[in-house]
Amino acid sequence: MSAAEDTSLTPRRIVIGIQDKSDLDAPELPSDPMPLNMGPSHPAMHGTVRMVLEVVGEKIASADVQVGYLHRCFEKESEYATWTQIFPYTDRLNYVSPMLNNVGYALAVEKLLDIDKKVPERAQYIRVIVGEIARACDHMTCLGAGGMELGAFTAFLYMVKAREWLWELLEEISGARLTHSFVRVGGVTGDLPDGWAEKLRAKIVDVRRVLAEVDGLLTRNRIFRDRMDGLGIITKEQAASYGITGPVARATGLDYDVRKDYPYLVYDQFDFDVPVGSVGDNFDRYACRVEEIQQSLRIVEQALDKIPAGPIVMADPRIVLPPKTETYNTIEAMISHFKLIMDGIHVPAGEIYSFTEGGNGELGFYVVSDGTGRPWKLHCRAPSFANTAIMPSLLPGHFIADIVPIFGMINMIGGECDR
Amino acid sequence: MADERVKVTIDGKEHEVQKGSNLLEACNAAGANVPFFCYHPGLSSPAVCRQCLVEVKGAPKPVPSCYTQCTDGMVVETKSEKALDVRRQMLEFTLVNHPIDCPICDKAGECMLQQQYFDWDGKYARNEGIKYRKAKTVDIGKHIVLDQERCILCTRCIRVCDEVAKAPELTMAKRGSSEVLTTAPGKRLDNPYSLNTVDVCPVGALTSKDFRFQMRAWELESTPSVCTGCATGCNVEIHASRGQIYRMIPRDNAAVNKHWMCDEGRFTYKPVHQHRAAVPVVGGAPVAWDTALDEAGRRLKAVLQSEKDRVGVVFNANSTNEDLHVLARLAFDHLGIARAYVAGRDQGSSDDILISADKNCNTAGVRAIGGTKLKSLVDLASDVKSGAIAALIVVGDDGVLGSGGRDGLDALPLNQLETLIVLASHSGALTDSAHVVLPMALWAELNGTFTNKLGMVQRVHKAIDPAGDSLPGWEILCHLSRRLDAAIDFDSARAVFVEAKQKYSFMIGAEWGRVHLPIQLRFAASRG
Repeated sequence: MSAAEDTSLTPRRIVIGIQDKSDLDAPELPSDPMPLNMGPSHPAMHGTVRMVLEVVGEKIASADVQVGYLHRCFEKESEYATWTQIFPYTDRLNYVSPMLNNVGYALAVEKLLDIDKKVPERAQYIRVIVGEIARACDHMTCLGAGGMELGAFTAFLYMVKAREWLWELLEEISGARLTHSFVRVGGVTGDLPDGWAEKLRAKIVDVRRVLAEVDGLLTRNRIFRDRMDGLGIITKEQAASYGITGPVARATGLDYDVRKDYPYLVYDQFDFDVPVGSVGDNFDRYACRVEEIQQSLRIVEQALDKIPAGPIVMADPRIVLPPKTETYNTIEAMISHFKLIMDGIHVPAGEIYSFTEGGNGELGFYVVSDGTGRPWKLHCRAPSFANTAIMPSLLPGHFIADIVPIFGMINMIGGECDR
Repeated sequence: MADERVKVTIDGKEHEVQKGSNLLEACNAAGANVPFFCYHPGLSSPAVCRQCLVEVKGAPKPVPSCYTQCTDGMVVETKSEKALDVRRQMLEFTLVNHPIDCPICDKAGECMLQQQYFDWDGKYARNEGIKYRKAKTVDIGKHIVLDQERCILCTRCIRVCDEVAKAPELTMAKRGSSEVLTTAPGKRLDNPYSLNTVDVCPVGALTSKDFRFQMRAWELESTPSVCTGCATGCNVEIHASRGQIYRMIPRDNAAVNKHWMCDEGRFTYKPVHQHRAAVPVVGGAPVAWDTALDEAGRRLKAVLQSEKDRVGVVFNANSTNEDLHVLARLAFDHLGIARAYVAGRDQGSSDDILISADKNCNTAGVRAIGGTKLKSLVDLASDVKSGAIAALIVVGDDGVLGSGGRDGLDALPLNQLETLIVLASHSGALTDSAHVVLPMALWAELNGTFTNKLGMVQRVHKAIDPAGDSLPGWEILCHLSRRLDAAIDFDSARAVFVEAKQKYSFMIGAEWGRVHLPIQLRFAASRG
């Protein structure tokens, strides 16, 4: 790479490998390799990752990235929970966008039940709306926290303020700010409250204003850009070979978005763009997320326009809990209620891999049923896990301080990565 | 004629079955999963519930498969639209007057009506009429309460009484929506097999007073075992939860008890939780295992060295084959004890259905292992009285040593003994008189085998942890043998079984079988 022609777009020149001392800004002082522990109890490690670094001076020679500190036996626990009882567990996967996990898991079970096309359309629209709100919140958290870790505390507060507006709306429909458990096999638990759509439209306007403010604070901020540009470059080929998906993959120019490439729910009904980057550095990941928030808000607005009236769950008492009046007054609904709670939905024996676009990439659920009310096996293909896997080969050659923005923009979420 | 094979086409696939065999059984053997209420493999088929209706080509309307015999060239559709529809309608009809009791019903979770509705109906109620009310708690027998509302009139219980217990005590009365299950005026459901009616009841109409409102069925953990109430050795399932046994139900075994067991046998779990000897005791004070074993070894050695022929051993006809084998090795092979006796419970009532007069579960085993060396309890009493025995090792409780328990024991002047070492599961007069008490696990708490009166070696599996510090008998005897320089060493009941199998002809062909850990009933159907 030659000297910069266009200073705003070309990445800063960096040197991979510590041997090439001639290119460094300051002459390298003689130094012995030193082991350095970063995390797991470190604010920039999201509380859950331990990195055993070998540093030479300020530079990283090797990094051993150890995940698993937030392992909760999600997959094993699921084998002992009914299909419905698993929803609260999925809330705790990517805990910054629980709605997307709810939707992803519900779709997997519905495909195995062969009812994914029979879920009422209104429920599918509601799932899209809450899912895209969750995606916007997920990205806002990532960007805000990423800025804060580099000292831009204002950006964080602004972003979290906007996120809180959206979370309040999610709380209004689900009862919980974070652990929604809002989706069910066969539909969703509740309809949109009266006036909710109008509130959401108004908040979208406010959120866009906040995004513009943060854009002004960060995007052309010299301090911020110096820590982002040209650092942590992932190539298209690397992204593909590591199984990286989501904004991190799109930042490399890999144009893969499950919503576009394998449309599910009613995503084929909406007009939206998939932003891609060109360099694959920290800044591209930042920029992709900024644009994805805008696209998510676009989808939400379109969905609010198009959402049809109708039921929000299927009317099959073998899949969906009957209404309480029925349960208390008829034996049929009582049996159905009892069996659904105690035995669970009887999902036909078989296996399926179902995948959706989660906050961090392809969120997949591999589900095996033996025909009972509980999964025989449930595996979650966590995008964070694949994305984090590149860290050991990405970090060497960078300064210790660079770990913070690189790791921040990879946006590893412990709950999802460790499961 | 008897083994004539015919071809029957079930759901488009041809199957070869025995001529005249039951069509429902043929369908379900072929995997068609035809539902039913009134049919039971151990009973006759009256075709009253109409839940097993299938379409047979040529028949003008769907036929009850449980009542139909297989004939050559029969073409059966179990899942045709019509068959499914009539079955759904029958189910809807059955549910019309069924009370909304699931939350308070003991059968909930193992109820066939719930199962059939969920598997085959899955429609909301169309009927908004008021349900027909009947008696909710009829005290119908010694062990049983009847809820007439829940009854779906399948008559299984009536047939159990008629065909298994040979005691026709139950009947249907009235007609239509008023039809109820009842006994004849002034009569009660009191036959010795009455609790089988609770097992066969597809819903919660007949409930056991003992189990009623004690535990939700799906929380129970099931372990296969064998009833220890008499020499018949009925195969049972122990249903326990958190170390507590809640009930025992029969387990199918065509060679022993088919689908049934007697009421008396069902309550043999009660002593497992009563008056247990839970800790080793020396001279009336609880001690650690090592202290108790050392003391037992010291006392026995003292007698063995000087007066070997004054040591006696009491075998128990209720011990497992494994306990008996280790005791026989210790007493006969290593210590050379000549004075061996056999203890057991008193004879009791019997019938020609399942109940044996011999109330010991391993008489055949103890006779085969102890052989002719074993003398009776009468001999024991006289030997103790005459002073021929100074030290006595007893495996067993009050109940097996003297008729009538504590009273019977009075005939045995135990206080004349210099040393009395007792391997007991229950405390009582015997443990009170003992110098050393070694607490022993009971049948529900260990792995082992019993030999029933037919000579069948049957396996029991550990359902719950042993009470307190108690250990299986074979293990205690291994520990004791080390104190007597005999060094009998086994690391598991299975190892004892394998060695015993080489030695005794009655165990030829017996298999230890695979591991059966307790499995929760909610998983039992799929994960067993």
